Amino acid sequence: MIQIQTKQSGKQYWRSLDQLSHTGEFKDWLHREFPANASEMLDGTSRRNLLKLMAASMGLAGLTACRRPVEKILPNVRGVEDYIPGKPFFYSTVFTQGGTGMGLLVEVNDGRPTKIEGNPDHPYSLGAATGYQQASVLGLYDPDRARIPMTGGNPSEWKAFDDFAKDHSTKLGTGEGLRFLSDRICSPSLLAVKAAALAKYPGAKWVEYNAVTHDETAAGGQLAFGQPVITRHKFDKADVILSLDDDFLGLDANTVLPQKEFSRRRRVTSAKDEMNRLYVIESQYSVTGAMADHRLRMRSSDVKGFVADLAAELKVGGNELQIVGGNRDAKRTKWIKAIAKDLTEHKGKCLVVAGPRQPAAVHAMAHLINQALGNVGETVVFFKSAADTVRPQLDAIKELAADMAGGKVSTLVMLGGNPAYTAPADLEFAANLKKVPLSIYLGLEVDETAVLSKWSLPEAHYLESWSDATAPDGTASVQQPMIQPLYFGRTAAELVAQLAGYKDQRAYDIVRNYWIAKFGGKDEAEKTWRKSLHDGVIPGAAQAEIKPTIDVKKINGAIQGAAAATDALEVVFVQSASVYDGRFANNGWLQEAPEPMNKLTWDNAALLSPATAKKLGVAQGDVISIERAGRGMQAPVLIQPGQADDSISIALGYGRVECGRVGKNVGENAYRIRTTDGFRFAADARVRKVAGTYPLAQTQEHGSMEGRPLVREANLEEFRKEPKFAQEMVEHGPLVALYPDHDYSKGYQWGMSIDLNVCSGCNACVIACQSENNIPIVGKDQVIKGREMHWIRMDRYYSGTGEHPDEDPQVVTQPVTCMQCETAPCENVCPVAATTHSPEGLNDMAYNRCVGTRYCSNNCPYKVRRFNFLAWNYGTEEVQKMHYNPNVTVRMRGVMEKCTYCVQRIQEKKILAKREGRRLIKDGEIQTACQQTCPADAIVFGNINDAESRVAKLKGQTRDYSMLEELNTKPRTTYLAKLRNPNEELAEKHNG
Amino acid sequence: MADLATRQDPHVRARLVEGNPSLGQLTETVSKIVESRTQYSWYIAIGVTGSITGILGMMLAYLVSTGIGVWGNNQPVGWAWDITNFVFWIGIGHAGTLISAILFLFRQKWRTSINRFAEAMTLFAVACAGIFPLFHTGRPWRAYWLFPIPNTDLYMWPNFRSPLVWDVFAVSTYATVSALFWYVGLVPDLATLRDRAKNFSKYVYGALSLGWRGSARHWRNYEAAYMILAGLSTPLVLSVHTIVSFDFAASIIPGWHTTIFPPYFVAGAIFSGFAMVVTLMVIARWVFNVEHLVTIKHLENMCKIMLATGTVVGYAYATEFFIAWYSGNPYERFVFINRAFGPYWWAYWSMVSCNVISPQFFWFKKLRTNIPFMFFISIVVNIGMWFERFVIIATSLHRDFLPSSWGYFRPTAVDMLTFFGTFGLFLTLFLLFVRFLPMIAVSEVKGMVATDAMHDAHHAEAVKH
Repeated sequence: MIQIQTKQSGKQYWRSLDQLSHTGEFKDWLHREFPANASEMLDGTSRRNLLKLMAASMGLAGLTACRRPVEKILPNVRGVEDYIPGKPFFYSTVFTQGGTGMGLLVEVNDGRPTKIEGNPDHPYSLGAATGYQQASVLGLYDPDRARIPMTGGNPSEWKAFDDFAKDHSTKLGTGEGLRFLSDRICSPSLLAVKAAALAKYPGAKWVEYNAVTHDETAAGGQLAFGQPVITRHKFDKADVILSLDDDFLGLDANTVLPQKEFSRRRRVTSAKDEMNRLYVIESQYSVTGAMADHRLRMRSSDVKGFVADLAAELKVGGNELQIVGGNRDAKRTKWIKAIAKDLTEHKGKCLVVAGPRQPAAVHAMAHLINQALGNVGETVVFFKSAADTVRPQLDAIKELAADMAGGKVSTLVMLGGNPAYTAPADLEFAANLKKVPLSIYLGLEVDETAVLSKWSLPEAHYLESWSDATAPDGTASVQQPMIQPLYFGRTAAELVAQLAGYKDQRAYDIVRNYWIAKFGGKDEAEKTWRKSLHDGVIPGAAQAEIKPTIDVKKINGAIQGAAAATDALEVVFVQSASVYDGRFANNGWLQEAPEPMNKLTWDNAALLSPATAKKLGVAQGDVISIERAGRGMQAPVLIQPGQADDSISIALGYGRVECGRVGKNVGENAYRIRTTDGFRFAADARVRKVAGTYPLAQTQEHGSMEGRPLVREANLEEFRKEPKFAQEMVEHGPLVALYPDHDYSKGYQWGMSIDLNVCSGCNACVIACQSENNIPIVGKDQVIKGREMHWIRMDRYYSGTGEHPDEDPQVVTQPVTCMQCETAPCENVCPVAATTHSPEGLNDMAYNRCVGTRYCSNNCPYKVRRFNFLAWNYGTEEVQKMHYNPNVTVRMRGVMEKCTYCVQRIQEKKILAKREGRRLIKDGEIQTACQQTCPADAIVFGNINDAESRVAKLKGQTRDYSMLEELNTKPRTTYLAKLRNPNEELAEKHNG
Repeated sequence: MADLATRQDPHVRARLVEGNPSLGQLTETVSKIVESRTQYSWYIAIGVTGSITGILGMMLAYLVSTGIGVWGNNQPVGWAWDITNFVFWIGIGHAGTLISAILFLFRQKWRTSINRFAEAMTLFAVACAGIFPLFHTGRPWRAYWLFPIPNTDLYMWPNFRSPLVWDVFAVSTYATVSALFWYVGLVPDLATLRDRAKNFSKYVYGALSLGWRGSARHWRNYEAAYMILAGLSTPLVLSVHTIVSFDFAASIIPGWHTTIFPPYFVAGAIFSGFAMVVTLMVIARWVFNVEHLVTIKHLENMCKIMLATGTVVGYAYATEFFIAWYSGNPYERFVFINRAFGPYWWAYWSMVSCNVISPQFFWFKKLRTNIPFMFFISIVVNIGMWFERFVIIATSLHRDFLPSSWGYFRPTAVDMLTFFGTFGLFLTLFLLFVRFLPMIAVSEVKGMVATDAMHDAHHAEAVKH
């Protein structure tokens, strides 16, 4: 291809659209076609960009006006069965992440998927959804998505690719030199297509690589049992849980099931109830660590030594297990003794889990301990893995990179995953990719890999295409489209089928025919197929349990060699709570969702403990250079109390350079120092301070409760002695209101109860609320100014216990949203009565009456009101508007907004009840968005006038308290106080 | 020059007008400021202040077209420089009303030389103040909903429980009454100008003087009207700032929710207003050669009032702290400790040094009769009083009940330029005033000349016996 020189002096004229399209500027605009949402909101150059955009769109108009429908979804003009305009449909589908499928229900308004909810029938969802899943709907309508096939960096079209592929597949022969690279596959139909492709090209190889893997978990199973197993922990069966660097309530779970199960054992209704006990050993403060009754901060590389010593203390594996432990100090020894005792006392009812960052040996040890304590079959069960052996992904991608470097790869087909960005740095994947004569990349975005590939093809989003996925226990679900592909993307299965000449070419046929054949019997199969689509779960597909046995001798070799102490720092690579491995970098909701512990948005940072920061002589916001394995990166310092000393945690997925407007150049790329020999953590990092500081956008900067009784907490024992401790924590005189009370004795009186004892602070509700209520994002600069818009926020407080409260605090989280006060301070100060009380006890907000004095927000003691300081929704492109909930007003600038208990959902059910001639709405019929998605079921909403309602019963509990009740605001949202269940042997004085 | 010997004798009243000017001379002195050819310096001055007003216009246009986000306001600091500036300007206005109304009722004759000037200052300050409540709203084009007027969108009353609505009534009443009072007082002098005018301006002054002929009936009606308006204005001096303080006192926020606010705000307003009068008067009497009309006695009296009100303000600060401790309310306690030692400590201590310490110098006669010194202190007090409002508003908001929501406010360039621009507006209005209207109430000062003469006669008699 001829490149147009843009350095040419003087005026340049273009003669054809083609020529224009070769310029860098055009390419930029091709993928950044629309004006920015948040990041360019106040950018001085945006006007210039707008003019550029107009010029570019003119050119583009001629190029892309050739959309033709390929797949047919019935247009609404013909009428859809049961369709009532304005009423949403709900479709079941499945979301895949980390090789795991989780069932979802998707709300579709007038043909637009708008809201993601968990599928209550799916065993790994049970009605809840994670933040990633909730936010994925925004990704569907991302205007920066890849739109057209590109070849050699130039716009092309599918037909050109089809012709090319047809021609090329005949030249592939037996497929020597053909390689496929994909994420871990859990789609049965794609596996079938894969098998067909490998059958057609016997010389080809298929490599699976995930930047965030559960590889070591699988390897640990293989090591312990000599066969690959799928492990399923039953957190609801365990009285005592020990987590070895496993954030099973947060990042390390691909589904919400662990939270669902764990929370069941934290639910306390009366002083007689029992609660489970959680020990967490980890380096970075996680939501699991915050939930822990005892948390020991420890470098990730020291966990192996810890578990070895624990195994020795427990005397598991008999004499066959030979252990060389790590550095032993008094505190650690005390912990090991206490935990060992506690585990022994709960044989068959305890559980040891190891995190995916930990090496196979730690997982094997966890299996060993679980087996020795009789937990197998009780708190932990195993399923047979589909594969015969486990081949570590790292080995596979290493081999692939070597083949690419050695010129052995002639055709590389990459199915998403952005390997040029996520592959270990020492593999030099991007450089090697250039050596591959033919590279084909199918991706949602024009990312780092797409720009290096000969062919980059737009992938269909999961909400617009057919596929399927299985959950860890084998439960399968069909992924069905809700909308026609917006940019004519194709699925991975379609691309492979095309290259392999598979019998079915279209995703629908591939998926349907696979399952129809599997179901067997023509009529019956059709029925089952339809039922599967409806239910979102394929019956009978679940796997059977197995009971493998452990080979202790094999573990011996792996457990030896604890990390030698050096003066180097450990660096731990963690997936980001916001952007995962980088794939959600262009998702504004996730970028702006505060990291659960440090509340950082729009960035990653090097997390250091206060002591380590002191040792290094750095302060928050300083920039450090982290060097290891001959590579380096720079990152801002964020001081995280509770981080293990001499350990740096850094989130992956940031520093994307080829990305849409939201995620481009946000944060620092930690993949730069992530190599195959230091893939999960590496204890060989050198750190030095470099010049300059960096602004960090944290939504909460003050971590202390200042001794105020906001989150009320006690130990289980204290609670048993003083069941009303929470209510007795505040003493106040008689509370007198200036204005007469409303009559709240009749009709529906809405209220909410939030159980702080089960809330993990996972952020799922924040994203659910954002999606349900059309809440805008504001961008990093505005977050720094304190203008984030979340209606529900997760307050996180550190509570100091022990010797070094600054270094090793406990964490409590508290979801805070509008309390719907009965004597609301916001209401009487509004000069125009834009916020008033409804007869049902809601603190209503009339946006079109609001003039924006902000007086209500000033006077709100909970600071839950959010003001539209700028026109956050201005310049939103048509495609972005498609995600809006049609039942919620999109607010203009200058007006105040806030939580209304999802008043649109209340109204919807009231109308339904009226239509059905019912007098009352059933308890639990209305679910607020936050409540619905809460994986821990911490939030309960309902009619408090109904004594039988769940919310009324929860409010009747002794743990129930109102935050700032002494102000006489009479909030309708009350909290259930937090409890911890500490082990007496480790108990430190509680200062609550 | 002042007759020091006379003034130091407490039995003897100082002369209100120095140099025994004849009535004709008085008319001449004041009128010629208006009638003489416009000086180049005036054009230069108004060019500068007009440009600054232009900045204000541009900033407001940018604000309205873009949103409140161009300021530094945030969550939790919903009000910052906007309301600070509003209270600051409203406070400035108070001295004018106090001088013109309360001192009138108390028969404080010395007020006559400065009352016109001070009233003008009130009006212009209120004009500047009025900008902020209007433009601080997110949708200023809907701000008229705060008034109880029917509108086509929603047949709704404003919320009478809201102190902001009380504010609307208080400030609009204040502006109306002040304007009327000022204008009524102007009528006889406008007639004088009309009578002396030679060109077309006599038609303008003629229309403005409402047919004043100086008849005895006119004078009688005038005096009655003036007295009534003075009576009406007097409660306003107390009520306006009391109601402004309700914006804060009626809220729930620690640092705002306190009963001391009304007297504390009123004292502060008078304090800042007198400081502003001194600032402007020192310049004006020098520029326009009216030092014999606005004498050192006037200035000294104003310094005394600043000393008194400044001390009241200092007492209020101390009381707030005492009550914060005494109440045992941990939130209240925290707010005051945070004010003095938190992130905004610099604002707090600027306020204390400017408002409490600096007026104490006026205990010394030497200092309160030293014009450059009092000019300096008056500027310091104005700065201090701006800080007082900022401290009350921003530091109370930035750290309230839930530490999770604590934040910090940083002003933007737009914040600063908007405030700066209001000074342009204020000074532009002033320049127009001194150019086209008599800056000293000639008719009233003439009465003072008569008073002085009478006192002289009495004094002479007393000495004789």
